[in-house]
Amino acid sequence: MVKKILSARSPIKTLEKNLKGGYGPGHLGVFASRKGVGKTACLVQIALDRLFEEKPVIHVSYASRVDYIISWYEELFKKLAGLENLRSEMEIHDRIVRNRVILNFRQEGMKTEQVLKSIEALLGPGHFSARTIIVDGFNFYLPCAGDLALFKKFAADRQLEFWFSCSLRGDDPLFDDQGLPFVLKDYLSSLDIIITLEHDDGRVRLNLVKDHDQISNKKLRLELDPQTLLLTRI
Amino acid sequence: MNGTLQRMRNIGISAHIDSGKTTLTERILYYCKKIHRIHEVKGKEGGGATMDYMELERERGITITSATTNVTWNEHSINIIDTPGHVDFTIEVERSLRVLDGAILVLCSVGGVQSQTLTVDKQLKRYNVPAIAFINKLDRIGANPFKVKDQINDKLGRRAALLQVPVGLEDKFQGLVDLIRMKAFYFDGPNGEIVREEEIPPELEDLAWQYREELLDTVSLLSDEVTEAILEDRVTEEMLWKAIRKGTINREFTPVLMGSAYRNKGVQLLLDAVVNYLPNPSEVENIALDLDQEEKAVILKADPSLPCVAYAFKLEEGPYGQLTYIRIYQGSLRKGDELYNTRSRQKFKVGRVVRMHADHMEDIEGTGAGDIAALFGVDCASGDTICSPGLNYAMTSIYVPEPVISLAIEPSDKLSADRLARALNRFAKEDPTFRVYIDPESKQTIIQGMGELHLDVYVERMKREYRVEVVTGRPQVAYREAITARADFDYTHKKQTGGAGQFGRVIGYIEPFDGQYEFVNEIKGGHIPREFIPSCDKGFQAMLKKGQLIGSPIIGLRVVLTDGQYHPVDSSDIAFQMAAQGAFKQAYKKARPQILEPIMKVVVETPSEFSGNVFGSLNQRRGIIVSSVEDGTYSRIEAEVPLSEMFGYSTVLRSMTQGQAEFTMEFLRYARLPASLAEQLMEEQRAKLEAEEKK
Repeated sequence: MVKKILSARSPIKTLEKNLKGGYGPGHLGVFASRKGVGKTACLVQIALDRLFEEKPVIHVSYASRVDYIISWYEELFKKLAGLENLRSEMEIHDRIVRNRVILNFRQEGMKTEQVLKSIEALLGPGHFSARTIIVDGFNFYLPCAGDLALFKKFAADRQLEFWFSCSLRGDDPLFDDQGLPFVLKDYLSSLDIIITLEHDDGRVRLNLVKDHDQISNKKLRLELDPQTLLLTRI
Repeated sequence: MNGTLQRMRNIGISAHIDSGKTTLTERILYYCKKIHRIHEVKGKEGGGATMDYMELERERGITITSATTNVTWNEHSINIIDTPGHVDFTIEVERSLRVLDGAILVLCSVGGVQSQTLTVDKQLKRYNVPAIAFINKLDRIGANPFKVKDQINDKLGRRAALLQVPVGLEDKFQGLVDLIRMKAFYFDGPNGEIVREEEIPPELEDLAWQYREELLDTVSLLSDEVTEAILEDRVTEEMLWKAIRKGTINREFTPVLMGSAYRNKGVQLLLDAVVNYLPNPSEVENIALDLDQEEKAVILKADPSLPCVAYAFKLEEGPYGQLTYIRIYQGSLRKGDELYNTRSRQKFKVGRVVRMHADHMEDIEGTGAGDIAALFGVDCASGDTICSPGLNYAMTSIYVPEPVISLAIEPSDKLSADRLARALNRFAKEDPTFRVYIDPESKQTIIQGMGELHLDVYVERMKREYRVEVVTGRPQVAYREAITARADFDYTHKKQTGGAGQFGRVIGYIEPFDGQYEFVNEIKGGHIPREFIPSCDKGFQAMLKKGQLIGSPIIGLRVVLTDGQYHPVDSSDIAFQMAAQGAFKQAYKKARPQILEPIMKVVVETPSEFSGNVFGSLNQRRGIIVSSVEDGTYSRIEAEVPLSEMFGYSTVLRSMTQGQAEFTMEFLRYARLPASLAEQLMEEQRAKLEAEEKK
């Protein structure tokens, strides 16, 4: 299948191969950077990677409008389809739409219990068998150790993988000596993978700073093309 | 005519169903002294609200057809069109908006921006109608006008600011603070008719100043004068009124007012805002097309002394004949004037001219540019343009969506067939989205419309207004057929049965096409004479009416004619039509045709606790859940669901959510029907054809 080939060639697979402990059900991963560097692009490409394999995805957003999120998917799908010359583009696109649900929580201070309840409603009575949950716009600057513990437990119980974005803000320095964002240091026990995005001479490099039990500031052989916002191998 | 052009307003009241717009209209009529007693929607006193004038509307507690009425407020003449909120009746909303100069967008202070608000908002934007927002039901538990204002900004993408803040909320809601005058207003008397002005309660001062600042910030973006005045601390009420008016008319700003129509609070201030901020007819540019000059656009002037141009936006068949609601854009008309219908090209004399007030009317001598009135006994269709003789203008025609559902009907007794025909004739004339035809095969009468409820309402009206009981079949979905591949044809039609023969040969291909249908002639060298090319086109078009899979119309097809052959004696128009039909039959099956079904955009609003059930129910119906937006306790779930799966969904949804959820749907697109269902339909079609053959 074209989709299989596409998925096998995906830079996301390269990313996963680089993780010593692998990635899968029960895990929580985070992409961290300042605003506008490309976290959402990374999250959407992970989602598309799963969707190309016909694995349903739930995209949870705390901030953006639904049409804005959809346009992210449309843009990146079009670029990926263009790159790979997908023949049955429309058909694959329709399947992607069928396997993706966007959950948008608009209210400030929406409780994590409620968010998980909604995901549960989709998985259970909604018969939507997602295994990957994308969470964009979660505020790590509010005390959230309890929330992350809830996400972690839910991921383990329901055998789900979670990918978050973390928007870094405030004055420099934002990272410690090992490259860990200060804001995430209190939550290391819940977070399995932390990847930071860094501007480097007109390019956006990805650094793996936490890989399960290991804290290592390892430059991944991946970068985000600032023009197309697609992940590419170096 | 009441007052001059500057003192005239044509406004509509648009909203999500159940936002209380009929109650609001009722209060407006009361405060403008058009009625002397307030009736409630679903009133226990035997009367419904005055604007819901049809018996059926009273019974269901919903507004179906727009009633127009005229009121006077502060020496201004205001024509109000009460528009229905349900999506099934949006043609009414669209027609009303076409003739309005401004609108009140009613929102519920608890529900905020709901699915239908989005549809109505889109329509307001499509017709460039300036609007003011009114957040109703501040007395309800959970009322939060601040949140609703944010939603108007975020969800509707409008630049909106509060002009008022509430004094108390829910059961403690007492009055409003006007942020321009910085005064509090209370509504006394048994029906809130006495407006009392007071100082702002001290505990609300901070809140009032905070929101006044927000208002000034927003208004400063609209007016340099206000920006300067803010810097120099000399902002006046007049300055703000002027800037808000300008911003509203230019559709750069949406003033937000609030109140509780049911509790008689805030309506008079809303009427002040209608007069202050919404445009008079001379401030809105209207364009007509001059049919004598290749439809050149002509700007109409709201000047009563110029030749008349009017637009018939609504028809109603009453006991005294046809009533035609018109909006006059230019000139004036009086009883006895001769006018010209530019579509039917017929002249007629103006008989009675009336001004409407819900279901009773007032005879007037005539009226002029900007006004809305109704004419008696004029033979025309809705959407027609009426001019003074000498002018040949057409107002831009309104957008009419294609019907997506059909229903076979039959009178329960033969005697009422006549009355049924009259009813159908009238409904089809009044509502362009309601269509009627006789199925040539089954000889059944088929009605078509925009949804189940749309057709239900007409079936009820047949019963009530025409005393016709009808037996209905199962609602049928409007399927389509489309090809998915290119296929060649080379077909010769040849007939020699004594006398003149028939001969025509066509060569070419058919292929999928983005639009409805296209015919391309690529023949070079005259292998088919020019006069027979239209015959080929006609022959192909005849085949589009009924596809070979299930007999549904074919869409998205291009025919390219590349070559052919003719006979100097035996070729004829009919021979080439037959050749084209034969060619189509030859190519169609090879072009891998498939059945398409209408997909609806369904929006369900439900308390979040039931969202799991709703997800499940949509999933069961082959739906794709696109998104779910949660806002505290409510979820707004958007899905794409095949229309054929949505029959009876309202009952299912009600029982699943204890009656607390509601949904709207509208046609989105056509999509391929899954193979197993397509097979089933084709099997039914085969059985039907066999049965017919046996007959």
